[in-house]
Amino acid sequence: MNLRRARDAAIIPALSIVLALVFGSLIMIFSSPLILGLDLTLPLLAYKALVEGAFGSFGAVVSTIVNASPLILAGLAVGVAFKAGLFNIGAQGQFLTGGLAAAAVGVWLAHAPGPVAIPLALVAAILVGSVYGAIPGFLKAYTGAHEVVTTIMLNYIALYIVAYVVTGPLRAVGATFARTPDVGNATLPILVGANGHLGILFAFVAVPLAWWLLYRSTIGFEIRTVGAGPDAARYAGMHPRLLIVVTMAFCGGLAGLAGSGEILGLTGFMPAGYSTNVGFDGITVALLGQAHPIGIMFAGLLLGAMRAGAPLMQIEAGVPSQMVDVLQGAILFFLTAEVLVRYLFRIRAKSAKVAELQTVASSYGGQATPAP
Amino acid sequence: MRKHRYALGATFASLAIVLLAACQGNTGSSGSQSGGATSNLKIGLVTDVGTLDDHNFNQYSWEGAKAGAQAVGAAAPHSVVTTQSADYAKNINSFVSKNYNIIVTVGFALGSDTTKAAKANPNIKFIGVDQGICVDANGNPDSTFACKGDAATLLPNYQGLVFKEQQPGYLAGVVAASISKSGHIAAIGGTATVPAVPNYMIGYLNGAKSVKSDIKVELKYVSAAPDAKAFNDPAGGKAAADQLLSQNPDIDVLFQVAGKTGNGVLQSACDHNIHAIGVDVDQWVSTPDTKACTVVSAEKKLTKAVSDAIQRVNDKKDKGGTITLDITTDSVGLSPFHDSQSMITPDIQAKIDAAVKGLKDGTIKACVETPFGSCDNKNGQPPA
Repeated sequence: MNLRRARDAAIIPALSIVLALVFGSLIMIFSSPLILGLDLTLPLLAYKALVEGAFGSFGAVVSTIVNASPLILAGLAVGVAFKAGLFNIGAQGQFLTGGLAAAAVGVWLAHAPGPVAIPLALVAAILVGSVYGAIPGFLKAYTGAHEVVTTIMLNYIALYIVAYVVTGPLRAVGATFARTPDVGNATLPILVGANGHLGILFAFVAVPLAWWLLYRSTIGFEIRTVGAGPDAARYAGMHPRLLIVVTMAFCGGLAGLAGSGEILGLTGFMPAGYSTNVGFDGITVALLGQAHPIGIMFAGLLLGAMRAGAPLMQIEAGVPSQMVDVLQGAILFFLTAEVLVRYLFRIRAKSAKVAELQTVASSYGGQATPAP
Repeated sequence: MRKHRYALGATFASLAIVLLAACQGNTGSSGSQSGGATSNLKIGLVTDVGTLDDHNFNQYSWEGAKAGAQAVGAAAPHSVVTTQSADYAKNINSFVSKNYNIIVTVGFALGSDTTKAAKANPNIKFIGVDQGICVDANGNPDSTFACKGDAATLLPNYQGLVFKEQQPGYLAGVVAASISKSGHIAAIGGTATVPAVPNYMIGYLNGAKSVKSDIKVELKYVSAAPDAKAFNDPAGGKAAADQLLSQNPDIDVLFQVAGKTGNGVLQSACDHNIHAIGVDVDQWVSTPDTKACTVVSAEKKLTKAVSDAIQRVNDKKDKGGTITLDITTDSVGLSPFHDSQSMITPDIQAKIDAAVKGLKDGTIKACVETPFGSCDNKNGQPPA
């Protein structure tokens, strides 16, 4: 029964991936140098290198996991919000502010013992990410400001907060370009391979945690009820407004944790020009994972593998690493164009739709605010 | 159940189509080697965030890698284009994992990750474009920026190439002051927080003053941070220049030091019918839209620098450490004047030649330098 449900849930994402790979092949073929004629072997070469770069060696597998962990956390930050009927586009901002908080505390405690510095830096990242997530939750719950709009704006604000703090108060004296000092002893220990830092554990702990929260706890039941119908939830004696704020804070904390892993585990400092798309990629991960923690884990691993393999694809096949963005965009397209996929593969629609996603979609038309 | 069989069948069918298509293609696309190959060095290049055809650092470093590979008779180099700054280390390590012999990394932002990679892989040669190497006594990136470690002995496999921007900036200032009729010129920089930018601008200021001591020089920065607004926003650059020129209509020469943001500055100069000076590369060539008003560019000869560094490795004459490339080796300087040659009277050419000679023999200093070779710019602002 459960297996069958999982298969039903996985069929559209799986087919979307296949279609995206086909679409990517066509792009590669038609953008190969025309002088040589259309190079029909190119996609094969490229995908082979992509797989080799992601799974070809022990180091490659570690790289895949390291790339996947922040994507899984960001995917959960978007996916759990989906369950409450919220479209959290703000994972990027929550990720950046969380990373900044981790960097700030890490720099502050750079010479403190690691067992003190690391937990405090992580807690700071989770707290700041939570607060940054709670802001749009609060605005949604108590003023009706749509979270899609507010989170997008908050993403920009986060970008500028980082630029200000790193070029201003936290700027390393003597560095040739604007960056924070090193986080020193707050650097996450390497557990496996060359760069498999402690942060990769967080993702794989967060997945069962999110699953338990959503499907085995009272608050998770309430979150899902709010997602399915805020008014019904209120009628049942729940507090939709409070739940929205709490859910967004939880999601922000996850995204903030993802940011701390990148800063404390990989770069070791925060540069002013720090650029990443993890928060936005989290949206693709959440949709591909059908907003289910287990699905999100697999989706995160897939996208992480693509990120890990991209450089080798460019080296071996000469296909720019941006092709991964194309593939990701195509996956997202086919996921949202579910009708098209069902038509292409002759699959009848499931009777039960993912109710929360429909709430998310319908909330664009107003009536987004739960009545007091 | 039936529907799943369909789905499965369709999946395999579509996969088969891809494989079929893949298998019947022509095969002649492997990299062609230049004649007389004498070296089996594998050369890879990691760009900074952006594209390989950015008409700027990435592109001309890449040209340099190709030229260097050809010069030593190695196979054509491969590249990885970085799409986000979080990926620097991963991209460098991809070349390491494929046993490349020379890895070129482009831009100061990759310096820290290149240092770590150079320490971890002593048998691989690294070339860092625009990277001053700052290590502690153990050869790790120095978190205090005291740079006490001797990079040349600790990391003999890592050449960090930096340029004295103040020298081409100085020459640009000489040209600007010489062709200005109003005695009022300007420069627009991306951000004062990246030393290369104030280096150019302070050199420009000093060069201009050397020609006309009473010249008015406006120095403006468009952003407080090294962000997209500073270097990747042509519309913003144009707006900033438009504003400056509307407030100071007598400005008749405008120097851009702001990457792609600066391309908007050049556009504004053309719109206002005044002279423009390009930066980093020969912008008369690289940004043809604005070549009508681009008199000259203050250049870092990136292609030559990277190609030379690769040849040093091939000849086993490479030494590690920060290598400051300056005008004595013609690694920086002015681009050709192209269409504007007629503006450069013998008198102006004499001034330029005198400045070049003075900078080369050390009788002229483009600016007061810090121990690291940058212009002294303690407050982040050039002297007014």
